[in-house]
Amino acid sequence: MKAVFRLARLSFVAALREKETLFWFVLFPLLLLSILTLVFGQLGQEGKMNFRVALADLDRGPSGRGQFAAVVEEVFLSLSVPPGPGKEPLFTVRQPAPGEDERQFILEQTEAVRLGRVAVLIVIPEGFSAAALAALSGSGPPALLGVYGSRGDAASGMAATIVDQVAARLNRELLTVAGLYRSEEATAVRTEWVGDTGAPVAYVDFLLPGMVLMGFFVAGLFSVSGTILFSRDMKILRRYWVTPLRVLQYFGGFSLGYLAMCVLQFALLVLVGRFGFGASVTFAQPLAVVYLVLGAVTFLALGFLVASLAKTAQSGMAIANLVNMPVMFLSGLFFPVASLPLFLRVIVLVSPLNYVAEGLRFSLGTGQLTVPLTLTLLVPLGWIGLSVLVVVRRLRWDVAR
Amino acid sequence: MKAFRELLWTQARVFLRDKIALFFTLFFPVVFILIFGFVWGGAEGPGMVTLGVFIVGEPDPVLDEVLSSQAGVSVQTYNDVARLEEDIARRKVGLGLVWDGRTLLFLQDPTRVQEGNALAQAARGIAAEIDLRRQGLTPVVAVERVNVGRALGGGWFSMVVPGIMAFSALFSGLLAVSGRITQMKERGLLDRLLVTPMSSTALLVSIATVRLVVGFISTSITLGLAAVLFRVEFDVNWGLYTVFVLAATLGSMGLGTVIALLVRRPGSASTVASIAAQIMLFLSGVYFPVEIMPAFLRALSAAFPLTYMVEGMRYVTGVADLSPTRFALITAGLLVVGFGLFPVLSRYVVSVGRR
Repeated sequence: MKAVFRLARLSFVAALREKETLFWFVLFPLLLLSILTLVFGQLGQEGKMNFRVALADLDRGPSGRGQFAAVVEEVFLSLSVPPGPGKEPLFTVRQPAPGEDERQFILEQTEAVRLGRVAVLIVIPEGFSAAALAALSGSGPPALLGVYGSRGDAASGMAATIVDQVAARLNRELLTVAGLYRSEEATAVRTEWVGDTGAPVAYVDFLLPGMVLMGFFVAGLFSVSGTILFSRDMKILRRYWVTPLRVLQYFGGFSLGYLAMCVLQFALLVLVGRFGFGASVTFAQPLAVVYLVLGAVTFLALGFLVASLAKTAQSGMAIANLVNMPVMFLSGLFFPVASLPLFLRVIVLVSPLNYVAEGLRFSLGTGQLTVPLTLTLLVPLGWIGLSVLVVVRRLRWDVAR
Repeated sequence: MKAFRELLWTQARVFLRDKIALFFTLFFPVVFILIFGFVWGGAEGPGMVTLGVFIVGEPDPVLDEVLSSQAGVSVQTYNDVARLEEDIARRKVGLGLVWDGRTLLFLQDPTRVQEGNALAQAARGIAAEIDLRRQGLTPVVAVERVNVGRALGGGWFSMVVPGIMAFSALFSGLLAVSGRITQMKERGLLDRLLVTPMSSTALLVSIATVRLVVGFISTSITLGLAAVLFRVEFDVNWGLYTVFVLAATLGSMGLGTVIALLVRRPGSASTVASIAAQIMLFLSGVYFPVEIMPAFLRALSAAFPLTYMVEGMRYVTGVADLSPTRFALITAGLLVVGFGLFPVLSRYVVSVGRR
């Protein structure tokens, strides 16, 4: 037993000393958690996004600025004020400088939108206020606000959607001020959440279990198979076998070292998730612990399976890479996956990562089950069984002579 | 010349035998395109909202009219609310709407974390319009969207494809130096090669040529797959495309040279290059627009070469516009980095000894 623990320690310390291992299995999940949470965790939140917008008001008659145009302009300019200290304004609005030719400004800004330098150009056209007044009195169609965007540009699309929402709010307010909109007759609107969760899940709470499993999966697939195969190819394993150490002891020690690595990964991710990004998900629940252990053991078994199937370390890494990407992306670790064609659906259906992720998220209340609960346990267990069978029959612990 | 041809052929064979390099330069973009294309519906992109509607009682013409006028919303009707809820939970439908003539009840899956905001926006838009129409009112202000960008029917996915192609060129170039050359150095192969009459420049040119061809094949396969499988429309300017792939790969080799010079152990250079490439992949606007990132990440993004390579690749494939001056500057910048650092690469990296 002492030999097993010594080997476990050796395997753990060696992994920590290896900068590459340290980065890919410990730092990379942390980095990915941080980047994705910083980007998607704040999506749609006030003060976290900023779009460059150009605004031109052409509605100026002989008597000065149109009243409705002034209101619209005011509303958009209010979005260029940061909503609080340390927050960013939703729009950074550029308007023609005093004395600048507005038609020229529009031409320049249209070009800037086309080239992606400005998200959208909002144009309040000539006669806008008169048209709005006619619309308000029911004698004309709505006054049109021109929004010039670039269809292929995601940022432009987002900014245009914000303009749509502003226009909807503006409509209600204008109609209310005119005494036409009766708030007491407003259509009641409610949102209900479908499923057991009952409330929207924060992105970091959705992502964190996925990142933990990604860490376990990548470590199992690459570190386990890589260490075995490289040690075998470089004849390091052969040196062990001339000592009294038995294969089972080596296997036990190596596996314990891997599990210690998983514990380290888990602890760091939870700490960063909780204290860095305010994750509130609690892993200290019996079912969640079952899935964490099941995940770690399944991916350890998969690592050995890859080591059994590969003839050399290089081909082992190629197999691991080939398996890694489709399985990781299609198992819903980073985003929920739905509506796949049959051949990709097959990958999802056989992927143990998919089942462990569903089970873990379900146990934590951050995901819904799309398969029966028993399957989330049986499929990973099946993979462990299959891996053991293959490993026992095929894994070579020394280079072929 | 014959010697150079032999060298070129050898490098090509070495590349084809290197399973990892082959995977990352040729298969990685293809697998990526297949996954993202199928997961997010190809050219239609993730902007489409599938709305499941269940009406209690008689059909409502106002509701029908409003729903049929919603851009980016595809409506699916249900006769049973339980079935609708089941389909929302199974993610077959993004948003549910139950209408009993008085209350608009939206049903949403709380675990659809990334699309949650877009679904809520769609719900708000529909509710606001129904609310006005039911009071017999018409909007005072309406938004008229005018597309001033390219007329191609591309969406989010059509922007991702050139992004992946740019990444592929970056990776190919970086690994040519920080992988292949440093590997040769570490294994002592360079020492042996450089004592032969072969010049280091010839060796470098042969490696660069192989990578350029591979980069071109890889990006072209990616482009073809996206066009054929997912009907993504491109308007490729083949002349500029060829020049840009060349510039991007050479520029990336220049960056690989910087890494190889900075990293003391030759073997660590490929690790640093892979790490740098992965970080850039997430922060250079390949998957999501830079505008939705926090300010400090936006600043970081502006410092990454991949950000500009993505811009250039989108331009030459015809999915986004770019001013010709900016494109010329990006291309020239990449070429300057590539050619400018070539002598450095030749002198300091492709040299005898471990450093």
